[in-house]
This record gives sequence, structure tokens and C-alpha cells, in this order.
Amino acid sequence: MSETSGTVTSPGGRVGRGLINTAAVLALLYLFAPIFVIVLFSFNEPKGRFNAVWQQFTFDNWLHPFADQGLVDALFLSLQIAFLAMVIATILGTFVAIALARYRFRGGNAINYLLVLPLTAPEIVLGASLLTLFIEPNLILFNIQFKLGFTTILIANIMFCVSYVALTVKARVRGFDWTLEDAAMDLGAPPVRTFLKVTLPLIVPGILAAGLLSFALSIDDFIITYFVAGPSEQTFPIRIFGQSRTATPPQINVLATMILVASITVLAVSTLLGQRRQRKMAGG
Amino acid sequence: MTERRPTRPFPPMGAMTSGPLTRRRFLERAGLALGAVAFGPALLAACGSDDDSSSGGSSGSGGGGGSNDIAISNWTSYMDKPLLKVFEQATGISVDYREDVNDNNEYFAKIRPNLSKDQSIDTDGFVLTDWMANRIINTVEWAQPLDEAKFPNKVNMSPALANPAFDPGRRYSAPWASGATGIAYNISTTGKEIRSIDDYLSAPGTKTALSEMRDTMGLFMLSAGADPTTPSYAAAGPAFDKLAKAVDDGEITQFTGNEYVGDLGNGDIAAAIAWSGDVAQITVDNPDVRFVIPDEGGMLWSDNFMIPYTSEKPAEATEFINFFYDPANAAELMAFIQYISPVVGVADQLRTIGGEAAELADNPLVVPTEEFLAGLTIFGSLDDEQEVRFDTRFAEISGSG
Amino acid sequence: MTDRDDEGRKTARVAPWALLGPGMIFLFFFFFLPLYTLLRMSLSSSESRFSDPSFTWEWANYTEAFSQFGEQFFRSFLYAGAATLAALVIAYPLAYVIAFRGGRWKNLMLGLVVVPFFTNFLIRTLAWKTILGNEGVVVSVLRTLGFLAENEGLLRRPIAVIGGLTYNFLPFMVLPIYVALEKIDPRLIDASRDLYTNTWGAFRRVVFPLSLPGVFAGSLLVFIPAAGDFVNSYYLGSTQTTMIGNVVQNQFLVQVDYPVAAALSFVFMAIVLAIVTIYARSLGTEDLI
Repeated sequence: MSETSGTVTSPGGRVGRGLINTAAVLALLYLFAPIFVIVLFSFNEPKGRFNAVWQQFTFDNWLHPFADQGLVDALFLSLQIAFLAMVIATILGTFVAIALARYRFRGGNAINYLLVLPLTAPEIVLGASLLTLFIEPNLILFNIQFKLGFTTILIANIMFCVSYVALTVKARVRGFDWTLEDAAMDLGAPPVRTFLKVTLPLIVPGILAAGLLSFALSIDDFIITYFVAGPSEQTFPIRIFGQSRTATPPQINVLATMILVASITVLAVSTLLGQRRQRKMAGG
Repeated sequence: MTERRPTRPFPPMGAMTSGPLTRRRFLERAGLALGAVAFGPALLAACGSDDDSSSGGSSGSGGGGGSNDIAISNWTSYMDKPLLKVFEQATGISVDYREDVNDNNEYFAKIRPNLSKDQSIDTDGFVLTDWMANRIINTVEWAQPLDEAKFPNKVNMSPALANPAFDPGRRYSAPWASGATGIAYNISTTGKEIRSIDDYLSAPGTKTALSEMRDTMGLFMLSAGADPTTPSYAAAGPAFDKLAKAVDDGEITQFTGNEYVGDLGNGDIAAAIAWSGDVAQITVDNPDVRFVIPDEGGMLWSDNFMIPYTSEKPAEATEFINFFYDPANAAELMAFIQYISPVVGVADQLRTIGGEAAELADNPLVVPTEEFLAGLTIFGSLDDEQEVRFDTRFAEISGSG
Repeated sequence: MTDRDDEGRKTARVAPWALLGPGMIFLFFFFFLPLYTLLRMSLSSSESRFSDPSFTWEWANYTEAFSQFGEQFFRSFLYAGAATLAALVIAYPLAYVIAFRGGRWKNLMLGLVVVPFFTNFLIRTLAWKTILGNEGVVVSVLRTLGFLAENEGLLRRPIAVIGGLTYNFLPFMVLPIYVALEKIDPRLIDASRDLYTNTWGAFRRVVFPLSLPGVFAGSLLVFIPAAGDFVNSYYLGSTQTTMIGNVVQNQFLVQVDYPVAAALSFVFMAIVLAIVTIYARSLGTEDLI
């Protein structure tokens, strides 16, 4: 295999190389600057209500990470919503993905395009439009009255996750060897059973991945949820937004750091496992 | 039939972590990590939620959780948390106390969708300023009467506040606190004392104003020679122009709700149009911060406690406000929040408590003297059409509207 | 044997729609229908501020929206454009290094790009507020170097807002560019090295043009959310830096003037729709997900 990271010997080339490498390193530092600040300030002991100026080092915040009850409750609500949204969006989205990947039918391309729209639409438009829907006194044919609260937050979260799930699963399912199904059916299995016993187990990893993706999206969503939340429900981001005007307890940093560290661990572990699996499969 | 070896259906999970990383894969990995992991703190939180709770109140079950739990929405810096616990113990009523009122308009926008359709807002009491109280009680009629039987301490209400035009006899509301709007500034940043709006505009450093139109415009109208007690859009013209010029020149950079408090405290802001009691609490952290009523006059306002018509606990909610109309409790509350109490006899109680609290009895910002009140005006009422014109022009100037 | 096409798909009539049904119906009700109600709201008006607006073909809302907020509209696109450009400049070298010099560490480096975004969006922006604050290191250094006057700061200025926007959407630029670079056939690169005596020439004429699909995808994925953002302007900006997002948020959630805000949102959405459609038609949707 030829060398693509070519050996450049001309001086201009070496300077260029150095420049680009420096640029890349600077970019990484730039990416981590706020993270550094967030972690650092989780150890701060602020004088007043805002954790904005470094005072002195303390472990107190880490000893009492759940001191701010409102924050903890908000995190809990976020998790509930994210979990439910994940389950529902995954089911809906997977079906859509299977339909698109498994069948060729009229309107397939149009559906594809329609699915991309919620992904690229700006969040304020999604949020604002949902708000106008929810405040409609009567919904054209139906006489449903929405109350801004848990339900509306959930609906909004499901909505923006469905597209992601659908397109993610579809991409993963592409390349699936559907002839396996044919083989199974040749052997006498009825279509539904084939689907359940042959197809589904093989695409489950893709579905899981899409599900976790929607969980992550839902947990971090602020703008859309903000528009459709009622006066009393506060998800984690909404709580931070509202509270940040009058106080920024260091517990915010503590919780954020905890989530960060745990995410890195999971990522590292899954990478190592993946690499080991690759090696095993390649080795035999 | 030719034999076909089934090709590998598709890359197994492991390959998610190697191979070309598309945006999809990035998001997948992000999802895996973040999703599987956010559970951690949450589980710990669920276990550890009986840790300390410094934000007061019950364990967040929201209004109507237990049989007599109530939820109250109030402005920040308006409660002494230990006192709240005393109330809970004395009455057995659990309070989910939320400091989620930042701005009158914003809170109204939050409750409007639900209250306009007979749907609950999960709150049993909220506190809003006079003009908004007028709208709630009279224009949209979303308040329900207080339970007179549970409000024996009503007799302690200051006579000056007992019969406002918007709620004669105080059937629907009870003032929580009154305060003054003036100018707060950090003397070490400005370098000199500020005594008027003009001083404020010419001070060096970052300056902010309040997003509450009546507070900011009130001060500017006084500065421009107009009378805020009988406001008219025409008469307010020069005041608006003055404000617009200040914004265009970059003298005023932001219109805030409570946010100025933190920035003033840590030196990010040099001067702000501010509320009297807030500064008292900032001074604890930063003694360089001062509050002054401008020479040309300041604004006086009251925030009022009301019960939304959707609440099913008016009795308990009234008990809540009743507790704070006991002069001893009122004094303790005011000793902490340092606003003007609506309860008679607070001055004496403060002196009884002694120490710092006794000094407050002599502070006109907490126990106002006649002379002090003379320097303050109350913004007059606006009819719908005038209000829209004021709000629109103000929103234009303040940039996000 | 069932009839399958190249991608293994069967032709069918009913089955796909049965599967698509639930999901698409959900999207219909909660994505497309809201756009319709948004449009209706934008053409509505109300007699008083407290009653629900009713549909009255109020085209005036649109003219009012633009006369009052045209500035914010323009500013949003300006800031988003600046942020996209900045993101491109910062992301490209990083993506290049990972793709061509990464070797075994590729995945680790990509992980590093992604990890900072496991913290909450608001918390990250608040951290920038701390970093760029008057008490922070950056301002002190800039003051010493003379770039800032004694009393000047970085916050509440366009530069802070653009900086925040650039940061928050950076990975969306890094990843598509990386993918595009990775996909380039290594033989093309070798050939270009043979043809052009220096790497810069090879880059300019071969590598960069081949990476353009990634550049376009990344630009789209940064520009649109940046233009619609309000959080960065809220925390890092001032009244002079308000964007469309701030106006929509303020009008809907503070002023309660739904019709004009709806008009603004709808126009914004229409513009985005046009951009996305053009993009999808010419470059396809594959690179976006």
C-alpha cells in the first residue's frame, strides 16, 4: 500500500506541515477550553450566587452534588422524557426505516426528502410552530385541547427524534442481505415469523444505536422544549436557563462533569471492545 | 438453484467504533455514550435526593402532590428559606416554592396558554406587580378570591395599600412586598458617585436597564420632565428618545430581569437600573455596590400575591399569605429580603429582634419615611391602546422586539 | 423468487405504507400540521392582547415583521455566515490532520472532537461567558497587548456571539469534511503528488475540490442552526446583537404577539427550506446523515 501520509522533503512542505499540525492542535485546545473551565469551576467556592469568578478550591460541591433539589428534579424529568421519547420514536422510526429499506414503492423518494426536513429545520421554527399548534382552540377536525406540560414536551421530543431514528436505521439496514429472508421463507417460515426470527435480530444493534441517539438528543434539547413546556415543568436545560439569570450553583458544573466523565468512560470502553472484536473477527 | 453463501448482513456493533466515521456514526456514538450514561447521575440522584436541599420546599412533587401541598411561584430574593420551613412545620402544609417569576410579561406569557383554556398551571399562588395584578384580576379575570376565613391577619395590612383601585377591599390580592426602583452601581468601577439618570448615562463601563417597561421608562420620564403618574405616549416621547439614544450610543447594552444582580456583584456591570432590595443582598458579597434613588425621583411599586382560578387549594394558599402577615414573621422576612413590608408594626418588631434587624428599622428603603416616599412616584395606569404603544416602542428600543 | 432490485428491495404496494403509517402520521400531525398552524397564525390578528388571534388574512403582519425586525433577520444571516466561515477555517486543518495523519489514532481523535459536546449546550455557553468575562484571562491578555482598552470587554459584542456560535456547531463541520477527505481514493492523492511538485498544489487542485461535498454539507449543518440560535446572543450578546431567534422567543414568550413572530418564523423556515431543497437536489441527502 502506498504511503498516503507522504514523505515531503521540501522545506516549504515541512513548514506547511508544521503549520497545519499546529492549527489542528490549536483547534483541539479550542474545543476543550470550556470543558476545562466547567470542570475547574466545579471545584470553586463562589462568594455570591454566581459561579463566575474563581475564589478558592473546595471539595464541598462534590461532597454534596445533589444539594440543589430543583436541579435534580429537573434532571429526573429530562430523563423520563428522554426515555419515553426514545422508546416511542425508535418504534415509529424503525418501521419507517424498514419500509424504506425493504421495499421499492412509489413515493419512496418523496418520503425520504420529507424525513430530512425536520432534521434541518431550525429549532426555533420547530418550537414556535408546535406552540401554535398546541394553543389552537380546536384542532380542525378534532376537538383536542392541549395543555402545555409533560405531554406536549414528550410529543415535541418524539417528533424531532423520529427522523433521526428513521434515517439512522435505514442507513444501517442498507446492505442487509434480504435474501436471507427469502431463504427462510423458502424453507417454509411464514413471513411474520421470518421477520421476527431472522430479520429483526440482525438489525437490532442498529435500532439500539438509533434509540440511544434519540435519548441523547432528547436530553440535551433546549429550544424546542422551552417553547412547548408549561409553566411548571422544568427539564434540565430549562432549569439551567431559568436559574442562570439569578444563580449558577456549582452543582451544575458537578453534574455536568459527572455526565462527561461517564460518557468518556463508556466511549472508551466501547471503543476498546470494538477493537478487540475486530481483531478477533479478523484473526478468525 | 445455485448455492449462495449469505453475505454478512451488515457490520456488527463492533464496527460502530471503527471504520469511516460518518456524521451518523458520530451521532450514534454520542448517543450510546451519552444515553447509557446519563442514567448514572440520575440513579445516584434518586438515591441521594434526601441529601441537603438548599432550595427549600418539599421534594418537588409539584402543586397538588399531597393532600395539602401547595405550589407557589414568586420572584427571586423574596423569601427567607428557614422561615418557609417554620410555616411548613406550623401548618403541616408542604410548599413547593419556585422562584420562576423573572418578569411580569414573561410569566404572563407562560400561564396564558393554559389559563385561557381552563387548564391548570400547577400553581396555587403567584406574585405579580400592580399593573399585571390589575390585568389578572380585572382584564382577564384569572384570579380567585382569597379565603377570608383563613386570613385573620389581614387587619395588619398597611392602610395605604388596603384599597387600591384595581382591587378595592383586597378581595383577590394581598401585597407581598413593595420596593423602589433606582440606580445601583459599583463605585470602584464608576469611580464616582451617581445621583441621577444623567450621571448614570455618562458613567464609564457597562450599564444595563430593566426590561420592566414601567420601571425603566418611569425613571427616564422623570429625568425628561414628564409625569409618570398620568402617563401618555405623547408626553413620554422625549423620554423614549433619550432611552433610544442611550442604546444607540452603546451606553445601555442590555435590558434585564433579575440577571443584573450577579453581574453587578462580580464587577461585569458598572451601573444598572435596579430594585432596592436586590442591592441589599448584593452588598453582602460586594460592599462596593451602592443603591441610590435619582435626584429627579424614583419609582415605587408593589408586588401582589394572587391565587389563580384553577387552583384547588385556595384555603391553604390563603393560609400561606396569612402567615406572612403576622408582624413577627413579616419582620423576619423583611430583615432578610430588605424590601418594604406591607404589614403594620414591622418597624417595632425589627427593633425587638435587635442587632442588624434593628438598624433596618431606620433604613428608609425598608421602613420608608414620609420624606422618602415623597421622592417616589407610582406609574399610572394605561389603557389597552396606550399600553400597546408604550410596549411596542419600548420593545423596539430594547432590541429584541 | 421474489423480485428484488439492486439494493435488495422488493416492489410492493401496500406493505410499505402500513409500516410507514404510524411514523408518518405522527410527523404529519406534529411537524407538517404545525407549519400550517404557524402560517395561519402569521396571517391572524387579535382584537386585544389577551384573546386568541383569529385568522383574518392579515398580510400586514409580514410587512410589520420586516419593518420592525428586518435588521435582526439580516444580522442573523450575517453572524451565521461569519460563524460558518470561522468554523470552516478551524475545522478543516483538524479534519485534514485526522484523515491523513491520524493513523491508528483516528478514532481517538474523532472521539476527542466529540467529547466536549457531551456537556449541556447551555452550560458550555455559560462557560464561554466566564472565559470571555471581564475578570477572565482572555480579556486581561488582550488588554495587556493593547487590543482592548482598559474598560472594554469582549462580552456583549458581536465577536463574542459569533465566537459562541462557531464553537457550538464546530463538530458539524469537522465530521463531514473528515468523511469526505477519508473517502478520497488514496491513489488519486499519490497521483497528484507525482504531478504537482509541492503538496500545496496537490491540495489546491485535487484534495480540496474532492472534499467540497463535505465542506458544503458541513456549511449547511452549521449555517442553519446558527442562524436560528438565540442562546448565544442571549448569554454573550447585548441588545445590539439580537438575532431572529431572540425576536421569535421574545415575541412568543414575553410580548405574546404571536402573529408577527409567526410571520418571521415562517419566512425564516421558507428560506431554510429553499436552501435545503437546492442542496438536496444537487448534492443528495446522503452526506447529511
